Amino acid sequence: MGPYNSDIPTGSSGSSSSDSSSCGRKGSDVDGFLAGAGYKVRSSDLRQVAQRLERLETFMINGPTDISQQLASETIHYNPSDLASWVDSLLSEVNHNQPLPVSSSDLSEFSSDFHCMEDLLPSPPFQQYSDLTDTWIDQTNPQPQQQQLTAAVAAAAAEEDSGIRLVHLLMTCAGSVQRGDVASAGSLIDDMQALLIQVNRSCGIGKVADYFIDALTRRLFSPPAVCADSILENEILYHHFYEACPYLKFAHFTANQAILEAFDGHDCVHVIDFNLMHGLQWPALIQALALRPGGPPFLRLTGIGPPSPDGRDSHREIGFKLAELARSVNVRFAFRGVAASRLDDVKPWMLKVGPTEVVAVNSIMQFHRLLSSEQSLETVLAWIRSLNPKIVTVVEQEANHNQAEFLDRFTEALYYYSTMFDSLESCTVQLEKTVAEMFIQREICNILCCEGPARVERHEPLVKWRERLGAAGFGPLHLGSNAFKQASMLLTLFSAEGYCVEENQGCLTLGWHSRPLIAASAWQAVPDTAITAAAAAPAPHPLPVPQSPLVVSN
Amino acid sequence: MEEEREKKVKFSINDHQDILVEILKRVDGRSLGVAACVCRQWRSLSRHDSLWENICFRHVSPPPYDVRHVVVALGGYRRLYMVCLRPLLTRLSCRLSRLDSVADQEEERVRSNRVWTRDEVQLSLSLFSIDYYERLVLGASVGDEAFTSTSSSSTSSSSSLMFLYKAVNV
Repeated sequence: MGPYNSDIPTGSSGSSSSDSSSCGRKGSDVDGFLAGAGYKVRSSDLRQVAQRLERLETFMINGPTDISQQLASETIHYNPSDLASWVDSLLSEVNHNQPLPVSSSDLSEFSSDFHCMEDLLPSPPFQQYSDLTDTWIDQTNPQPQQQQLTAAVAAAAAEEDSGIRLVHLLMTCAGSVQRGDVASAGSLIDDMQALLIQVNRSCGIGKVADYFIDALTRRLFSPPAVCADSILENEILYHHFYEACPYLKFAHFTANQAILEAFDGHDCVHVIDFNLMHGLQWPALIQALALRPGGPPFLRLTGIGPPSPDGRDSHREIGFKLAELARSVNVRFAFRGVAASRLDDVKPWMLKVGPTEVVAVNSIMQFHRLLSSEQSLETVLAWIRSLNPKIVTVVEQEANHNQAEFLDRFTEALYYYSTMFDSLESCTVQLEKTVAEMFIQREICNILCCEGPARVERHEPLVKWRERLGAAGFGPLHLGSNAFKQASMLLTLFSAEGYCVEENQGCLTLGWHSRPLIAASAWQAVPDTAITAAAAAPAPHPLPVPQSPLVVSN
Repeated sequence: MEEEREKKVKFSINDHQDILVEILKRVDGRSLGVAACVCRQWRSLSRHDSLWENICFRHVSPPPYDVRHVVVALGGYRRLYMVCLRPLLTRLSCRLSRLDSVADQEEERVRSNRVWTRDEVQLSLSLFSIDYYERLVLGASVGDEAFTSTSSSSTSSSSSLMFLYKAVNV
């Protein structure tokens, strides 16, 4: 793309902190020529888009005339700036009734993309999904490697073929579900089940497809009440997810580092945790505070979480354990547990923030649960701001799973979770891996099967969170180089080499093979009298009474 | 002549514990673990946490001050080394040395002579605190016997740190 290069704007990461070894968004440069025509296409996507346009052209020329006429005259282009996905959706419409013309020439084309032929068999084929969709119908290139295909490679390639067909059928089925066409969706599901037999279901595309077919089946044929989660099960699943892969550890360590730096020089500190679970984040912070030069402060921890169904005060137990740890390292510590089923039910007076305390608010994958109504998130952000926190650490999944259209959510979820399953392949402890997959499966089912207030997994990407938090009166705090170094070191401990930490305008993202999957950021309250005045207006009404808070002190 | 030979035969390092301790202070972690397998006396000597403290932070520059009370509270230097430091440094040095495809002995040398940074110490302390906490929460009661037996497959390590024990899967 030689002549276009001069028009591409540069410098997407120049202003960030000095330690970033790779910029966050490599492909964010928009092609100048197409931008002039009103189409926003990333330069890195140009090849993909060109190939898809070629395919579309081939179909329009060679396909049945009624379809090509329909495409030419009646297709409505909803979003002219998103060229790549428009072409994709057109092609999936076209391919709905067409057989997939995969010839041996195409197989050799993409098999030559792999470095070692032998790796085809055990490695998950979905890893190079984007390459596969690019090259599987690239009929313009010659096939000199065809003679080199061995029987093993051909078999693996056949499996790749089934994998691609599965993905294709999944997208088509999702389209049918969106249109409400239950009959065709059902028959597609049967087709996919048949195809699944040929594919290896224990890894790669087979496993992902298995879960997604299950989710689609539930959406079509199960009653909506299936989405209810047991709290105890949730804790167990969360714990195994914590152990199986580094995402939660990265979240905890990065947030702790930011909180530690924010607490520097203060003697009386208060951390509010929006999802206590087992409190696994806090031992490291307590230990770091114990060792900080100048001595440890008085640490108060308030943990918010759902009440235990069996009446057992789980928060109190966690508090005791944390207090024991704090006592052994000589950190003055106090704990309070707040039981609330939803974050909206929490009111600032429950947290008993002292006047001289420095407050840190910690939310690990909790804010997105409030997005079922805009009002909820605004309310919560407003009262957080009214506490005047020194730092708010926010960790969220880096995905756009809150779109209104089912097909968009489905596509996005398919990409996101297949990457995540890919990264999970490297986990060697089988039990943890299996249970972690169950944890992920719950998320998938919630995204795809539930609607309205029941759908709590409303992930949004970092750019949207930046907007929301900025609008609520928070300014970004750059995570320093220490956090980056620590995250990189943490990753080297994990057996797989595909994880990558990237820095993105002061925020850190952890991803798998350059696809960011989780983003950590830090914020502070921007002094703004207008916003604090709005937040101060109370609206008292009968509240669900929380469990009596417990203070465990040394 | 006979007297000289008698003198030579009579010398036994086990009678000179202070010399033995001085020697053991200077060996690396693996050697100290091996030393614990020699005899009962060597085993009890090798258990002294101060020896392991040397091993843990000998190469740290600058040496961390005042971490002792924290480390002792969380389980001691020996456990810190076994559970956190050794896997961490092995993993880190493997990453570095794999690129050059060096022999095993080379790796060993790299591992033992490497200067450990404060960040690595901090990270291992954080992981150590999580280990301690998980033992509290999960109620796993650990005897010292458990984790001196083998270098891998340590039943006493908390589940959160199991990823440090599993073979590096490239």
